[in-house]
Amino acid sequence: MTAWIDGQAVERDEAVAAAAALLAGARGPVIAGLCAETAAVQAAFDLARAVGASLDPAAGPGLYADLGALASGGAMTTTAAEARGRADLVLALGPAPWASGLLADLAAEAPARGRAAGQPRTLLALGGPGDGGIQHVAYPAGEAGLAAEIGLVRGLVAGRIADPHPLADLAARLRAALYAVVVYDPAEIGALGTEMLNGLVKDLNEVTRCFALPLGDPHQGRAVTQVAAWSTGQGPRVGFGRGYPEHDPWRFDAARQAESGEIDAALWLASLPAPLPAWIRTVPTVALLGAPKGDEARVVIGVGVPGEAFGAALWHPRRAAIAWQEAGSQEAGSQEADPIRSGAPAAAVILADIQTRIPAASAVSQPESSASC
Amino acid sequence: MLTRIAGGRVVDPTASRDAIGDVWIEDGRIVAQSDPAIADRAPDRTIDATGCIVMAGGVEVHSHIAGGNVVLARLLLPELGVSEPGAPNPHGSGHDVGLLYARMGYTTAVEPAMPPVNALATQLELAEIPLLDRGGLCVMGNDDQLLQLLRDRESADAVRDLVALNVATSRALGVKVINAGGADAFKDGAIRFSLDDEVPAYGLTSRAILNGLLDAVEALNVPHPLHVHCSNLGLPGADDSLIETLEAAEGRRIHFAHAQFYAYAAVDKDNPLTGGFASAAPRIAEALARHPNATLDIGQVVFGQTATISLDILRQFSGRKAASPKKWIVNAGDAEGGGIVPFRYRDRGPTSSLQFAIGLELMLLSPDPERTILTTDHPNGGPFTAYPRILHLLMDKEARDREVAAHPKVAAERSGLAAIEREYTLSEVAQLTRSGPAKLLGLTDRGHLRPGARADIAVYRDQPDRTAMFARAHRVLKDGAVIVEDGEVVSWTRGHTLSLTVEADAGMARRTDTYLQSRFGAGLSTFTVPDAAFPDREVFEAVACRT
Repeated sequence: MTAWIDGQAVERDEAVAAAAALLAGARGPVIAGLCAETAAVQAAFDLARAVGASLDPAAGPGLYADLGALASGGAMTTTAAEARGRADLVLALGPAPWASGLLADLAAEAPARGRAAGQPRTLLALGGPGDGGIQHVAYPAGEAGLAAEIGLVRGLVAGRIADPHPLADLAARLRAALYAVVVYDPAEIGALGTEMLNGLVKDLNEVTRCFALPLGDPHQGRAVTQVAAWSTGQGPRVGFGRGYPEHDPWRFDAARQAESGEIDAALWLASLPAPLPAWIRTVPTVALLGAPKGDEARVVIGVGVPGEAFGAALWHPRRAAIAWQEAGSQEAGSQEADPIRSGAPAAAVILADIQTRIPAASAVSQPESSASC
Repeated sequence: MLTRIAGGRVVDPTASRDAIGDVWIEDGRIVAQSDPAIADRAPDRTIDATGCIVMAGGVEVHSHIAGGNVVLARLLLPELGVSEPGAPNPHGSGHDVGLLYARMGYTTAVEPAMPPVNALATQLELAEIPLLDRGGLCVMGNDDQLLQLLRDRESADAVRDLVALNVATSRALGVKVINAGGADAFKDGAIRFSLDDEVPAYGLTSRAILNGLLDAVEALNVPHPLHVHCSNLGLPGADDSLIETLEAAEGRRIHFAHAQFYAYAAVDKDNPLTGGFASAAPRIAEALARHPNATLDIGQVVFGQTATISLDILRQFSGRKAASPKKWIVNAGDAEGGGIVPFRYRDRGPTSSLQFAIGLELMLLSPDPERTILTTDHPNGGPFTAYPRILHLLMDKEARDREVAAHPKVAAERSGLAAIEREYTLSEVAQLTRSGPAKLLGLTDRGHLRPGARADIAVYRDQPDRTAMFARAHRVLKDGAVIVEDGEVVSWTRGHTLSLTVEADAGMARRTDTYLQSRFGAGLSTFTVPDAAFPDREVFEAVACRT
């Protein structure tokens, strides 16, 4: 069985009809989660446009720490594969990079491409827990937090702090590196920390090469951002309530909207594993889930797991790109084969089916598609 | 269904046609009026084109409308891509891009910068641009695998096979090179890089990389010549780079992207970077006349706010301090990556005004409008929505004089624009925007109105205000179906993405798979663009290689 209403198993068709009725009758619907293959995310944006919904990916908070800093001042970045190939110095900010697996990869190799080829690779840690198995130089973070420490390093690199300082050596190493890479998790250092880091990296490029390397989120956030950009011209937190996309990271934060009572229906899309938000219990919700139990929301519809049940375009963390993943190749969040779910349709199919059942009267009119003269 | 577009002034320079007449369409293709199959039949539909100009649909060869850097530009400048009701934005969604091109009578557009590492996302984005046929050019010339092959002096066949594999895997329409080796040099600290400079880590000159790619494109019979973004874009003395590169082609087919940005002669040859620049348009036009193997597109500057988007990260980094507003991105990616530098072309600014004048001068001096394609290098010179105004200025000397008079006089002093009397004819406009770009892309089924052509047709109301005329077509047909009426979209068709049919060598595929696995921990299959990525749609249309 792959569909439920109020916890009771039903035919899928009945659940899809109930989902369409719920969204069509809502005054302020939200489509959230978006932890899914790009075809499903694209279908979710199409549906949102049709019903006047807002959108918010599960990856929202961390993603917007990065996007906020990007829109404020820009950035200089590189990829994991370039860091592996070229970096002679890697600085890990905070604890998150140590949990990512990336540092172990970086520590296992030395630069092989570019002007640092043949040189050893040095790992530095600022404010991280470290790892006994990975040789590195640790710099403790002070009580003011990582963002403030990054600011201090930036001041030191620029020569604006004259007195001896515990981080002076770190700053000197960054200046002396040929290709430094700073690994960080935007969710951990926040928008302010990310903006300061981007400034530090840009300053360093006056004298050498240094790039920031953000850790991707595990919930397809970077793929959703691309679909959002080409579908709306903006980042993912957009609302179609007025019939055209409006971008507002604060206003369209789904958790905030749920808390303040601004939404009266939701569609939660997670064909890949993503933690269910608490508000799913209070807002009437349709959940499209790759691993459903049936009681997660008012209406639950099981969908195929991309990269497992079928090939799909998904965010590929090592490639830092949307990449094709064949059926049965999904690494992250791999689940036990479940014969019940193996026939589940792709989320994109369900979303398109819901959209076709939205009565035209409740669909938001599109001002650009005016009639013939 | 038989359709007759009746009584318009039909302009098709490929058939030396410029006269009142009819255009007949059946099954999405243009048919001859004399065709026995239609001889005695009454049309099922007649589109009255009295008082109108009938041309083939416009073809765009160089406009950044999809890909990771277009996405990044939107994220860097949310205010630039913002949607307003009733005001579609060329910097906004793919939906708006398709609408705005179609409204101007364009029916095909090519994204010139599709890095193979980001091909799938670029293709997904292109597929979301409605109304138009689309295509992407596969970018090579800074990727480690190619540079290794060239450094190790592997055979020309190996280079050819690697290029074929990249084109096939990314489902591209052609091949582009962007400042060959420059991005790699930047990652090793360089901020200047020219044709005979070496990429430090490979001991290869930019010229050697260019040569390898020119040969590969010829060997594969790719219809579109190698699409070249030269070194030193935008710098005084950049004309030397373009001319050197043209001569380096040694007669092989070559296309120069956004030539206006290279038509800058250094005023002080001894101190090129500090003495300013003057127009080199006459020099480039003269070189074009001497080299029938070469084509160029313009990269016309348009006044106002824009974002410059380029995979030439060395030049984008060097130009960062001109960013307006003062924020910019350089992504040192897996080959080129990309750079986004916002820029405001000021209509009271001497430099912007001179750039503006040089682009027009280059088109007006053209020895062959079919080989000087109209582009703004959207959004680098400004948005493509400026085409109607640019065409107006090319067609109207008086309007041009008024325009030039409104700008700082350096634009007139350092360019030859003011002295040029030429006014483009409608046939020349069609060469600049239809037959030229279609021939350049090797798309024989469009860019003209001869029997057999795809029925991609623009009908404009003939009016003295050419800006208004070209901005909102009276009717636009795509594959024979009316998609625009009086400047408004009436049918949201989706078009196809054109991709070249190239056989990839199995040995090179295996070798590349091994290379990619070691570099990315992911093999060739993750770089593919399968039909299954576009469920329930037939997105791609095959284009054959030259025979």
